[in-house]
Amino acid sequence: MPKHVAFIMDGNRRFAHINNMERQDGHTQGFNKLAETLRWCKHLNIPEVTVYAFSIENFKRTQEEVDGLMDLARQKFERLLEERENLEKHGVCIRVLGDLNLLPLDLQQAIAKAVLATKNHNKCFLNVCFAYTSRYEMTNAVRELAWGVEQGLIRSSDVSETLITECLYSNKSPNPDLLIRTSGEVRLSDFLLWQTSHSCLVFQSVLWPEYSFWNLCEAILQYQLNHKSIQKARELHREHQASLQLEADRLCTAEELQHHGNGKPTDAHTRQEALLHYITCREERVQNFLTALKHKRDLFFHDLCIEATTA
Amino acid sequence: MVMLYGLLWRLLLLLVHVNRALVSWLRVRLQSWKSRLWERAMASLLLPLALAGFPEQQKKLNRTPGADDNPSHANGGPSPRLRYISDGMSLQKLPVHIGFLVTEEEPSYTDIANLVVWCMAVGISYISVYDNHDIFQKNHSRLLKEIERQQRHLMGGDGHPYNVEFLSNGSDKCHNGKKKSKVTFVFFVLFFPGAKTIPDPELVVKFGPVDSTLGFLPWHIRLTEFIFVPSHRDVSYKDLLGALKLYSSCQQRVGQ
Repeated sequence: MPKHVAFIMDGNRRFAHINNMERQDGHTQGFNKLAETLRWCKHLNIPEVTVYAFSIENFKRTQEEVDGLMDLARQKFERLLEERENLEKHGVCIRVLGDLNLLPLDLQQAIAKAVLATKNHNKCFLNVCFAYTSRYEMTNAVRELAWGVEQGLIRSSDVSETLITECLYSNKSPNPDLLIRTSGEVRLSDFLLWQTSHSCLVFQSVLWPEYSFWNLCEAILQYQLNHKSIQKARELHREHQASLQLEADRLCTAEELQHHGNGKPTDAHTRQEALLHYITCREERVQNFLTALKHKRDLFFHDLCIEATTA
Repeated sequence: MVMLYGLLWRLLLLLVHVNRALVSWLRVRLQSWKSRLWERAMASLLLPLALAGFPEQQKKLNRTPGADDNPSHANGGPSPRLRYISDGMSLQKLPVHIGFLVTEEEPSYTDIANLVVWCMAVGISYISVYDNHDIFQKNHSRLLKEIERQQRHLMGGDGHPYNVEFLSNGSDKCHNGKKKSKVTFVFFVLFFPGAKTIPDPELVVKFGPVDSTLGFLPWHIRLTEFIFVPSHRDVSYKDLLGALKLYSSCQQRVGQ
């Protein structure tokens, strides 16, 4: 069974058009389908779900449609806060990933409240990508790393693929095992590009508001059929990353030894000791940096909540 | 009850595995069966004509059944190069940069070389080839030789050979100058583009059974259309053209 499934919930507007509904109604149906799908995932013991709710590109839509979507989001997040006890009972942790600064302030505050209220829940996880694009996320991660180097928390030589992953919005989650896109489009549309490099991709032609339990089962079946080969590829990738890291550590250690050494050649034992020492120091630096980053992000939500209560 | 559902699921999985194995076995068999049957049919048709001595008719029937399969085998028709160009121009849109993602374990240099030659002939400027084990990257000189060979084979002596330039790691510079006559053959390994002039791949054709990008250019594939072809082995021009036709009918809203 996949532990983390990601959905690109595409097809709300086409559904509305086919059924002679307003677009806004299509989006509402889409939200209802999301709630239903989350229930199915819970029954199937899939603990983590990530959904693509609103892309930064979607701001290009008509003002009417964007406002409608913001209203829908406002309603739903406020509703979530009302259901706080239920969320606690089921251990649901809600995270919102994206450039939240682009959203109206009251929506940011509602999101912050929901995120902080469910922060410590750990039975199941819902990640909502709102005002999100993968490229923005990756660029932001690199910016954070640059900040870390500027602050002296990490060195530029500490930057690696693994560290970039730790700086993404999704750093608290494992990579998705399965990515499902509905409505028949066969592209990723700037969603979790980094995280889904070794995920099973399933493209289904059904429109999102018409998604059924059997569609979900079909996707899971495809995941299971691909499981072995994808696992193999993931392992290969992990080993490659580990060997690159070791090579980089060796190079840095050799440079340091040259710098601080007295010109005499070092023996293998000294080099090995120096390497282990370097690795320990690097890991400590990285941990401190990541703690500082987490603190910075938590502060963003806390400040929003305080603003909301004082307003 | 839970055990029953578990058992049912396992049975379903087993059936799907069997179905998949049967389909791929049949596919191989049918291909060779179809071609043998057609050869026999053609031979039986040709014999009376050969005896009657109608050389033009003979030539026509000698042509392989799918003219689309490989235009270079067309006898007495338009130059193969022109045929490819016209196929490219007949599409509503053609990708500037195409990617071939091979998820099969043992890659075939000849088939990939064929794909590259056909892409160049149809008018695609940038081609990326990727496999999970970096086989093509490590053996790029072998692949380039194969491309040259297949160019001669598929194009015959018709016109000038295409110019293929090999880039690796995105760190080599891309020459702006003679874009029209030059084709760039690209292997990407880094996640971020070194040269701004290389566009993102608009289309990626994935070969093989694994439903994953397996680490292929995560940054660049934000709006890439994915088309799936079961195998790159014995892939035909018709398969490539089919993928290009499918791509040309895709519409992107880019958020709107």
